[in-house]
Amino acid sequence: MATIATGLRHAKCAGSTAAAQWRSAMLPRSSFTLAIRSITSDSHKTTTPPSLEAEAAASVPIPYQGITHARVVPATPSYFSREPQFNDLYIGISKLLTKYNHLPTVPPSEAPQMPWTKLEEMRAQMGEPIKASHYAKVMRVAKRLNLIEPSLRPQEVKVALTEFTRDINPFLNMPNPITIDKFGRAVGVGKRKESTARAFVVEGTGEVLVNGKTLSEAFGRVHDRESAVWALTATQRLDKYNVWALVEGGGTTGQAEAITLAVAKALVAHEPALKPALRRAGCITRDPRTVERKKHGHVKARKMPAWVKR
Amino acid sequence: MASISLRSLVRPSLPVAPRIQPIIAAFSTTSLVSAAAPPAIKSRKDLPKKTKKTYKKKQNIVPVKKPGPGERKAFRKRIQLSNNSALPVAGLDKLEAQTMARAESGGRMFAVPDEVVDRLRALEAFKSTQTWNLFRKPHVLVRKETVELMSRLEASVEKKEAFKCVLTGSRLSGKSLMLLQAMSYALLNEWVVIHIPEGQDLTNGNTEYSPVPDTEPMQFTQPVYCLKLLQNIYKANKAVLEKTPLKQDWTRLSATLKPGSTLADLALSAKESEFAWPTLSALWTELTLPGQPPVLFALDGLAHINKVSAYRDPAFNPVHAHELLLVRTFVDALSGKTKLPNGGAVIAATSENNTHKHPSQELALSQLEAGQAGKPVPQPDPYERKYDDRVYDALKNSTVMRLEGVSKDEARVLMEYWGASGMLRSVLDSRVVAEKWALGGHGIVGEMERASLMTMRV
Repeated sequence: MATIATGLRHAKCAGSTAAAQWRSAMLPRSSFTLAIRSITSDSHKTTTPPSLEAEAAASVPIPYQGITHARVVPATPSYFSREPQFNDLYIGISKLLTKYNHLPTVPPSEAPQMPWTKLEEMRAQMGEPIKASHYAKVMRVAKRLNLIEPSLRPQEVKVALTEFTRDINPFLNMPNPITIDKFGRAVGVGKRKESTARAFVVEGTGEVLVNGKTLSEAFGRVHDRESAVWALTATQRLDKYNVWALVEGGGTTGQAEAITLAVAKALVAHEPALKPALRRAGCITRDPRTVERKKHGHVKARKMPAWVKR
Repeated sequence: MASISLRSLVRPSLPVAPRIQPIIAAFSTTSLVSAAAPPAIKSRKDLPKKTKKTYKKKQNIVPVKKPGPGERKAFRKRIQLSNNSALPVAGLDKLEAQTMARAESGGRMFAVPDEVVDRLRALEAFKSTQTWNLFRKPHVLVRKETVELMSRLEASVEKKEAFKCVLTGSRLSGKSLMLLQAMSYALLNEWVVIHIPEGQDLTNGNTEYSPVPDTEPMQFTQPVYCLKLLQNIYKANKAVLEKTPLKQDWTRLSATLKPGSTLADLALSAKESEFAWPTLSALWTELTLPGQPPVLFALDGLAHINKVSAYRDPAFNPVHAHELLLVRTFVDALSGKTKLPNGGAVIAATSENNTHKHPSQELALSQLEAGQAGKPVPQPDPYERKYDDRVYDALKNSTVMRLEGVSKDEARVLMEYWGASGMLRSVLDSRVVAEKWALGGHGIVGEMERASLMTMRV
């Protein structure tokens, strides 16, 4: 962090140089040249001696006239750092934070979700060996800026934050909400293992049909029957809805648990307030476990052939 | 020495040559210390094998007495009708003669009276698959269908004609229990009850059979089964049989039968299995004469008596089950060929657990059902070759009664009884009733029992 601190010290004296020039010149790296401030070297040529004294005075060149810095100074204070572009980014948002520190903030849970650029991604983007600790500090500032109340957020903050986000926002990728059609049906889809289930849930008296059969005909095991209607049992809604389910693929357990998920989704369409209860009952999250693939050299996924003596 | 003496005894005349044994003196004078020399090693097989050392302790195997022959089956098939751990349920009425036929009894539980329980047990009406062993005393739920069936039975006595019925419906829906209720109704109303608990027993070839002479095609009786059936009939219907006199002269069967004898004497006259069928047939003839008490003839497992049996005739051709005389008696009664002039009923129940694919019976039953409901009658499958006309003829005059799940109100009554017996421990409200009703396939009683009583909750 020493480099950043040094950069900040320079930024104090040279205001105009603090603007991030590296970013604009990022792509054509080869054409990048040092922006050296002009050091007037032609001052001694232009003077004409009006008098002797003046000539004498003029013959003695006054050193360092019009010169602020003794040496060539780079345009950006990050010039000597290991990660100049990244450093510029940091300087930029730190200034923004200083500037807009007074704006009201929202709690982190209410801040807009941003697809932050990951460390690896940022390293690849800038071509700089960014340290994880530096990245964390920068992201902390960026996340603090994201807490500014969205309606009061200045444009330049918004622009600056886009530097820290990915181009694709996965949080916008939402499933279509389930609607209740004119017959009062909500259709949910659920999957488990190899099974896929569709459940049509309507308000009713607690009748359940699976592929046109009653629960006892569809599932031989009592446990599977209970699984199939678990979303309704857990929320005490079994006598309030009728379920008509279609299920295919897989075995009995998979089919029963696919119906659980399908019924839960359709039930949430009827009563959105039940979602936390259903999540606690384990009816919202899809179980991602499936059969592990067989490997070569193995008899099954893990099983090895028996050892044979020659 | 013994051989020599024996030989001398057998053939005293022959001279016996003494055996000469060469005496080989040992080279060494010391005695043999070690045992015989180890066997010579001729191949790799003779090399000493490495044995795996086991650290397992040898288990102390105690000889266990195995159950005797038939003991295991008897244990499996035993009927247990009470359970001292269950709470007695107070406040339920006992079944009386006309209770089940009254509409107001619908949706209520009733206790089966003790004397009826004994007689039902003699008739083998209780099945080991039913859950009688969970409760203190046998109780039955009178459902809507029960009231309907019993009022039909009541009407049959008034009309003096048989009520012929086939009970069908999905698995565990209570067909056998409905049969039991019909039998208890008949016993309470002083009918004579004949019950064949498993149609399968008659046709799977496990009981003796013998041909009836001079019959074409050949017919068969099942003497041992008939003797047992006669004894069961006597045990269950003793009171009625003892006060009903014979109308015909059956002295040719037994010398003990006088003109003033009763049906009980007739039933008891068969002491040997060879007289069982003539006696049973005589009893059936007596019961179908006018002026005798009404009869209930019941059979469970209809599909098994509508097929070609496992028996063979002397030419080794398969015998159709309807050629067995006991089965034929039932089938004739079911088809209406034998009239019951005193009223009564012939009830057959199908079984879903113990059955086989039977297209003829399924078609006949579905046609009857459609005809009763006024729906279009299903046509036979043109690609099916082997429809059995005898099955159609046997079933065509009967009424089909389909049993499915109970209603939620009936389910509630039943579950309240379970709760009062201490078998159902959760709070009983409409939500729980609806849950078990749905888990039990829309109120299939057996499935509800499975879901709520027979599932372990830890």
